[in-house]
Amino acid sequence: MLKVAQPDRPDALTWVFLGLGLLLLPVGLYLALSAPPDVNQGYLARIMYLHVPGAWLGYLAFFVTFLYSLLYLFRQDPRYDRVASASAEIGLVFMGLALVTGMLWARPTWGVYWTWEPRLTTTAILFAVYVGYFLLRGAIEDPELRQKAAAAVGILGFINVPISYMSVKWWRSLHQTQSIDLTTGKIHMDPAMLQALLFNLFVFTLLYLGFVRFRSLLAALEARKEEA
Amino acid sequence: MKLPVEGWPEAAGQGRVGMVRRVVLLALRDLRLEVRDRAGLLSILAFFAVMLFIMALALGPEEEPLRRAAPGVLWVALAFGSTLLSTRAFALEVEEGTLDDLLLAPGGKEWIYFGKLLFQMLLLLPLAALALLMAAGLFYLPLERLFPLFLTLVLGVLGYASVATFYAGLLARLRGREALLPLLLFSLVVPVVLASVRATTGLAEGLPLAEISDWWQLLLVFDVVYLSASALLFPVVMEG
Repeated sequence: MLKVAQPDRPDALTWVFLGLGLLLLPVGLYLALSAPPDVNQGYLARIMYLHVPGAWLGYLAFFVTFLYSLLYLFRQDPRYDRVASASAEIGLVFMGLALVTGMLWARPTWGVYWTWEPRLTTTAILFAVYVGYFLLRGAIEDPELRQKAAAAVGILGFINVPISYMSVKWWRSLHQTQSIDLTTGKIHMDPAMLQALLFNLFVFTLLYLGFVRFRSLLAALEARKEEA
Repeated sequence: MKLPVEGWPEAAGQGRVGMVRRVVLLALRDLRLEVRDRAGLLSILAFFAVMLFIMALALGPEEEPLRRAAPGVLWVALAFGSTLLSTRAFALEVEEGTLDDLLLAPGGKEWIYFGKLLFQMLLLLPLAALALLMAAGLFYLPLERLFPLFLTLVLGVLGYASVATFYAGLLARLRGREALLPLLLFSLVVPVVLASVRATTGLAEGLPLAEISDWWQLLLVFDVVYLSASALLFPVVMEG
């Protein structure tokens, strides 16, 4: 994502992403708050406008980490490692947001903050994988070994995502547990709600792009300072 | 202990046969060291026994809850035991400074991974079978369908060991690896543990094999994916 080898300050594109994202964030908030309340859940459904983009960006960010980890292993260029770790960091934040908003929504809806529903469990595990990613990074002194080990975890950890998603499906089909349908809101969604959601997804993605570029730049500056 | 020099297949020109021989040689050497030492093997066995005892004590004494908990307890015990074992696979290598010798051998580096994995499996499978017997005794786990149970053990242990061996190699030169390894490992192999527990539970409850074979397929998918990903990544992270 960062093409320049040794940049000093964020380039124009980074500023565009960040500026546009921050500028449109209040608009997204307004759309979310003015969207019609859900038939069943009322105003509670509005937490979705934070929850869904958070989860989406968590997955996207971990996918980017996976991609750049692969690139790093092939090219051995520290720039790829910086993007991978920046993306993992931001993904962790967004995933945390999704988990927290999910819990806040679950308490009034299901009556509990946490239940061992497959979707929740796999998300929590995914979160734990990337916490491990940063613990590993912190534990290794040698920069080259650190980058390699982190790349390995970034790749293996992401492989877990589709597999555990599949296992969830199998788990359900085998045992017919009463699955709590998370998708009710989506299927019968009012066009106004859908528009608001899509807009928020777009704004959050802009912010993510800006954050990743900015964080990678910071990492590059840190690395340069360490070398000097 | 150095690898025996005589009969050591040269990498060049011998291809697949050479690699298989290397893998087997490495695994057998590690196995011999481990059996000769005995202390490590006994400590893992004792760990299984103590863990199963404590869990039985905590969950007992009624028969029904014990039986229901048995598959979960068995697989958690195996997971922890396998972690102990996988750190051992590379710890000796680092202590004796022989890891670099292994890496210096000409040709690809995958054989080190497969050798260590084979070593793990050769040790873990008998241990897992013993743990299964212990769980049967302490937790009233029915053993009528011994062969399907054993198949579950093989598939589950292989999925677990494939990732454990990879991480153990990756972290071999690190201080504090004993704490870091389970942390990285457990979050990754949750699907394996889940599928194994489900299959074992199904067998204990007497479900038809057709239903359990779904879990076996799933375990097979894990095994293939983890095994190939680890084997591909291993040479890249070990070099340098």
